Amino acid sequence: MNLLHIPLIKALLKNRWPQFTIIVIALAGFILAILSGFFGTPVGSRNFGIIFVWIAWWAILMLVAVPFFGRGWCGICPIPAPGEWIQRGAMLGPRGQAKGATLSKSKGLGRRWPKRFRNIWLQNGSFLLVALFSTVILTQPRVTAIVLVAFLFVAVGASLIFERRAFCRYLCPVGGFIGLYSQLAPVEVRVVDTAVCKSHTEKTCYTGNDDGYGCPWDVFPPGMVKNTYCGTCMECLRTCPHDNIAINIRAIGTDLSVERNRKLDEAYKAFIMLGAAAVYSAVLLGPWGTLKLAAYSVGTLPWMAYATSFLTLILLALPGIFWLMVWFGKRLSDASQPTKKLFISQAYALIPLGLTAWIAFSLSFVFANFSYVLVALSDPFGWGWDLIGTAGIGWTPWLTNLTPFLQVGVLVGGFIWAAITSSKIASEKLDAARAARLSTPVIGFCLVFTLTLMGLLIA
Amino acid sequence: MNEKLARIFVIVLLLGGSIAIGISWWSDQVDVITLHARMPEEGGWTPADLTIEAGQPLHLHLTSDDVIHSFAIGQSDQPAVDIKPGEMTKLTLTFDQPGTYTFYCTRWCGANHWRMRGTIIVTGEEVEQADESPLYLELGLDIDAVHEAQVVPDEKPSVQRGKETFAQFPILNAQTYQSLDYYRSHSPEQVWQEMRGDEMLTSHTDQQLWDAVAFIWQSNTTPEALLEAEELYAENCAACHGVSGAGDGVFSGEQVPVTGESHDSQTGHEIVHATDFTDPYHILSTSPAASQGKLIRGGMGTGMPMWGVISTEEQTWSLVSYLYSFQFEEAQ
Amino acid sequence: MNKKRRVVQWSVLGIAALMVAFAPIPSVSTTPTERFFHVDAESFAYSPAILTVNPGDQVTIELASTDVVHGLYVGGYDLSITADPGQPTTLTFIADKSGTFRLRCSVSCGALHPFMLGKLQVGTNLLFLRGIGLTFAALLGVLFIRKPLAESEN
Repeated sequence: MNLLHIPLIKALLKNRWPQFTIIVIALAGFILAILSGFFGTPVGSRNFGIIFVWIAWWAILMLVAVPFFGRGWCGICPIPAPGEWIQRGAMLGPRGQAKGATLSKSKGLGRRWPKRFRNIWLQNGSFLLVALFSTVILTQPRVTAIVLVAFLFVAVGASLIFERRAFCRYLCPVGGFIGLYSQLAPVEVRVVDTAVCKSHTEKTCYTGNDDGYGCPWDVFPPGMVKNTYCGTCMECLRTCPHDNIAINIRAIGTDLSVERNRKLDEAYKAFIMLGAAAVYSAVLLGPWGTLKLAAYSVGTLPWMAYATSFLTLILLALPGIFWLMVWFGKRLSDASQPTKKLFISQAYALIPLGLTAWIAFSLSFVFANFSYVLVALSDPFGWGWDLIGTAGIGWTPWLTNLTPFLQVGVLVGGFIWAAITSSKIASEKLDAARAARLSTPVIGFCLVFTLTLMGLLIA
Repeated sequence: MNEKLARIFVIVLLLGGSIAIGISWWSDQVDVITLHARMPEEGGWTPADLTIEAGQPLHLHLTSDDVIHSFAIGQSDQPAVDIKPGEMTKLTLTFDQPGTYTFYCTRWCGANHWRMRGTIIVTGEEVEQADESPLYLELGLDIDAVHEAQVVPDEKPSVQRGKETFAQFPILNAQTYQSLDYYRSHSPEQVWQEMRGDEMLTSHTDQQLWDAVAFIWQSNTTPEALLEAEELYAENCAACHGVSGAGDGVFSGEQVPVTGESHDSQTGHEIVHATDFTDPYHILSTSPAASQGKLIRGGMGTGMPMWGVISTEEQTWSLVSYLYSFQFEEAQ
Repeated sequence: MNKKRRVVQWSVLGIAALMVAFAPIPSVSTTPTERFFHVDAESFAYSPAILTVNPGDQVTIELASTDVVHGLYVGGYDLSITADPGQPTTLTFIADKSGTFRLRCSVSCGALHPFMLGKLQVGTNLLFLRGIGLTFAALLGVLFIRKPLAESEN
């Protein structure tokens, strides 16, 4: 069902003001997080930066935005905004200029993103970089502020040198996994009828016109078959003269069945996310103090041991075991495809497993620490303010009795989803019996992972 | 038009918000000293030295940058104020008397908690105060000298039995042994030795004399003093000297001395463990004056803090009497 | 497999799954005993961090902080104590609720304070067992009962 058939939704999305307003408010929050990180109390639980980035925003992202709206967050993210305003020479966009005026010239160099980096390997790397230091980042306001400033700096720089949203598409560590998981979302942006596009020579959805900018995500809407790189920025809605863009509600996980464009970088992202979820569950939520201190004491020998183990698990062990399972499956089913191709395609079954793992992990600390959000709103800097009267409320656990049940449900659901996905992908090229044999070891891998995560979170 | 509006919106929100935050911060600083409490390893009190005129209010905004601390002023009735991490506690102090006051942390914030002190210098016309020399100096005691009792009781001396024994003493002897000056300037062993050598007391057994010593010690203090001392001990001393007094507190093995060869400090060979108050050989050969001296002056390079500026004289003598209670069976 | 057989199998699995998820399991009854735990709290873990008792036991936890002021909050029972170094505190309660409960530090004790966690296990961790059961039920369903895509298209 096309949501744009509802006039209110269409109007709200086409008009630039609602989106702009949300972005500016998000930008204000972003800057407040940076300011409180640098000038506020170094105590994480009383600092707006830590609470709002790692509890409030993370909760909204992992529990609402990604599962239900895919890359919906990217559409309102404040990080690329300042750079984009400079790049475009305008804040509100073409409609903000006097009628008949030409698009203001891009204030940046507008270079094409280098071909060899047109993949998500850089994002895999940037996510791992953040992950290695995550224990410190999550708990030290100053460090969070530095990370946020670095993001802003790189995003603005990218906008000045390259065309479109180069930071978002190729550098942002968050974008790496949001893109991967957006394939599961129950909404998608697609063209209504490709025949209409065929007869439209200007392809303004990609090149831009008086009404809007060409796709900032370097996506060609008529050719879009998966959500992965569409940032839901709505520019194509505004530029298409034939009203040929739709926002469809669809079944979850639809993109996983699209055989095209399955790549190794995305497959590796799936392993990175799985491994990170498990390691974080053990380090942050487990009872092992030595592990926590090792992850926290950056630069020391224990930390180097931790970092090495972390990277080995994520980049070698997990993919290695999975490769073995795929190889087993290939032998069992006598499939003719090369193992590497099977490895990549079967890895897409790990995407739903990863999303549910991250949801289950996030439920642990988000609910328990949500009371800090109200405190942070009243006293963002820890200076003794009390803006909305909630500065004095002590830490109160929220829904902690319910959390383990939710986690079990989410993890079991994720396992079922992953197992079915593996079967479906195997069935693309094999008959039912052989497909079942191919996917069985992979399902075994998913089973072990699910039980491991369940053990770490529930046991 | 729209673009202009958009730009104004952004500037008002972002710039305006930042300016509002700045102004709010600035107005909070007027006439106020923001005192940051940190673990001593991270800087302790910041700032550690404050100055104020006598009679002028000193407005303090107290906040902790790491763990829970608290703020108290030595030898003062000012109750200790908890300083919670990331929270701001407001406190206004006014000093009538010029002089130097010590403020300190009263909630253990690590092995070096006891080093967490600062000073408030109150300016004005100072009233000359006679400086009283502590008793151990007057007596010429070397409180750092190693000492060990030659004689110790076979079983723990009982105050109750001692009371009965003491009641049998000839009155003149009793008065001598029980006087405050005598008690303070003699160690329990010394008192026992004198009793043992006293011709009028030859009929009593060794243990009975030890019991009498215990009674003498108890009679030179009060239940209220012991109660106050018990609280002071739990808050200030137990972390090193142990809940049981055996010198096995959680920080006993972590007090690396500040003085001494740097090599020694690093190898930790010089770590001096907290005194074991349950060791009769050590405690029974220590006089109350020597104990008081140690408390007031501190341990000179060991982890024993100097309490002279923190505790009142009354509190110190109460603590001294409490320390001996690890050796004696109290009366019920 | 024809449709009817499949429906039957799904129903059976469904009932089995519901039972695994919700059927009350009579717990092995034990005589309530008194249990004492001395727990050392240091930044940022408890030692021991996992306390196991039987339902109905009288549990006494003596909390001793070894570096800074720590707290202990028992989730599910909503009880908490605070201990300053040198001043151990005691908490006594009856473990009348079964399950797995989180122990958390309730006094901000440094950077990793929100992650200072332990576990109180009262009786068996039924939820975990049920979770394992449900996962295996799901495995059976997906591997053996589910109609493969290729077949369904015929």
